[in-house]
Amino acid sequence: MEYRTENRDDRLLVWISGVITFDDHEPFRRIVDEIAACTPELVELSLTTTKMIDSAGIGMLLLAKDKADKSGKALVLSGVTGHVAKVVELSKVDQLIKIV
Amino acid sequence: MSGPDESLLSDHAVDTALILIVDDQKSSRLMIAAVLEAAGFTNHLFASDGVEALDVLEREPVEIVVLDIVMPNKDGFDVCREVRQRLNLPVSILIQTALEDADQRASAFDAGASDVISKPIHPHEIVSRVRLHLERRRMMNSLQRYRRRMEEELKAAEAMQISLLKSDEDVAAIARPRGADLWTFYQASNQLGGDLWQVFEIDETRFGILMIDLSGHGVAAAINAFRVHMLTDTLRHDRSEPGLWLAAVNDYLYQILPVEHFATAFYAVIDTASGHLHYAIAGAPPPILLEASGGWQALGGSGLILGCAPGVSYDTWKTSLKQGDRLLCYSDALYENFEQPDLSLEPEDLARLAHDVVSREGGAGFMSAMIGQVFDDPEAQSRDDLTLLLLEVTGDR
Repeated sequence: MEYRTENRDDRLLVWISGVITFDDHEPFRRIVDEIAACTPELVELSLTTTKMIDSAGIGMLLLAKDKADKSGKALVLSGVTGHVAKVVELSKVDQLIKIV
Repeated sequence: MSGPDESLLSDHAVDTALILIVDDQKSSRLMIAAVLEAAGFTNHLFASDGVEALDVLEREPVEIVVLDIVMPNKDGFDVCREVRQRLNLPVSILIQTALEDADQRASAFDAGASDVISKPIHPHEIVSRVRLHLERRRMMNSLQRYRRRMEEELKAAEAMQISLLKSDEDVAAIARPRGADLWTFYQASNQLGGDLWQVFEIDETRFGILMIDLSGHGVAAAINAFRVHMLTDTLRHDRSEPGLWLAAVNDYLYQILPVEHFATAFYAVIDTASGHLHYAIAGAPPPILLEASGGWQALGGSGLILGCAPGVSYDTWKTSLKQGDRLLCYSDALYENFEQPDLSLEPEDLARLAHDVVSREGGAGFMSAMIGQVFDDPEAQSRDDLTLLLLEVTGDR
């Protein structure tokens, strides 16, 4: 997994690429910390270039959402396609995290 | 549990590490011994040639050898080679070479020396090298001990986890009188896993099958699997209603799981007498029904993963189950390929493979044949926990 963040006026944009798996806890922790610390009240995780996600990866998205909730921010997922879309469909994570 | 030992060498303490000093000149042996003794290394043995050195090494637990090269009978290079190749000892060998001879130093390492020290002996250097190598040995030993203990603990935990799963006989005792055969397979990706299957008696004609996959894998997932196992055994909810039962499991998991952990589940009630399967799904991959007629279908229906929100309701779905039908339940490790995402399998791929396999290998042989079909190297550890259940409706009661 690789990621980069961009602070826009209205949102914190996080692009996540590659595969999000069990092995990505550490980099994902950094994303979560950035979510807690950022100024905008909207966080968008862009998964356009995320190729695959495993159950631990879904867990990390839930953690990010929880962190956003607790720091008074809204978190949305965008660019949900391919394997990620299948996992979302199966897990019904869209009932927990808003997808745009 | 504690980490690796931190009791490494202190500067002035007496050290009882057994050191073998090998030199054909008595004056050199005594000088090296005196230098080491002054630095606190009081435990040494002597050998005056290579043959004698090997003899000592075979008998005594020597930790470090200070070895001369040019000696009668057997030289230092031969001793090195024999220690490594014939005796296969991990002892540290410090070989004495003339500093200016680069070729000789390289040959010493090739022969199996751990390090080279200059000749004539320089007291400060030899003490520093001995210390360094002892420190390294002790760190390695401590890490090895730590690793062995972790492996033993994991092995014990793995045995506990496997003992939770019902034996083939116990499964057959539930399924057979209710008109079905049930075959199971479970393999953790790394000793401890977060997958779990269970079979429940419901009444004289019905039984329940459950498959749960805790998110992640490894120790945390395994501990959660233990908790879920306890829960599913003791939960006093009606197991004959899959949707209501998963809802109860969900409420409990919501209370105990941290926010980033969840579980997927498939729970079905098998009733071969009425020819029905009632089931509920919480984020699990769709089981595949291989029909006796030759057709197949991935079971429809879905539901939110378990443990993320309270008060979630789960639908109970229903499908017919005829004599000769087979139901394949599997965890996502069967079809997801994280090394080569494009090679991940779809339900139709699995259905086709499973169909091929059951036409050749029914029952007990199915699991290994199916795994052989899906994975290039079935012996290789999968990256995630793998569970398979195959139900066959026999209709015999």
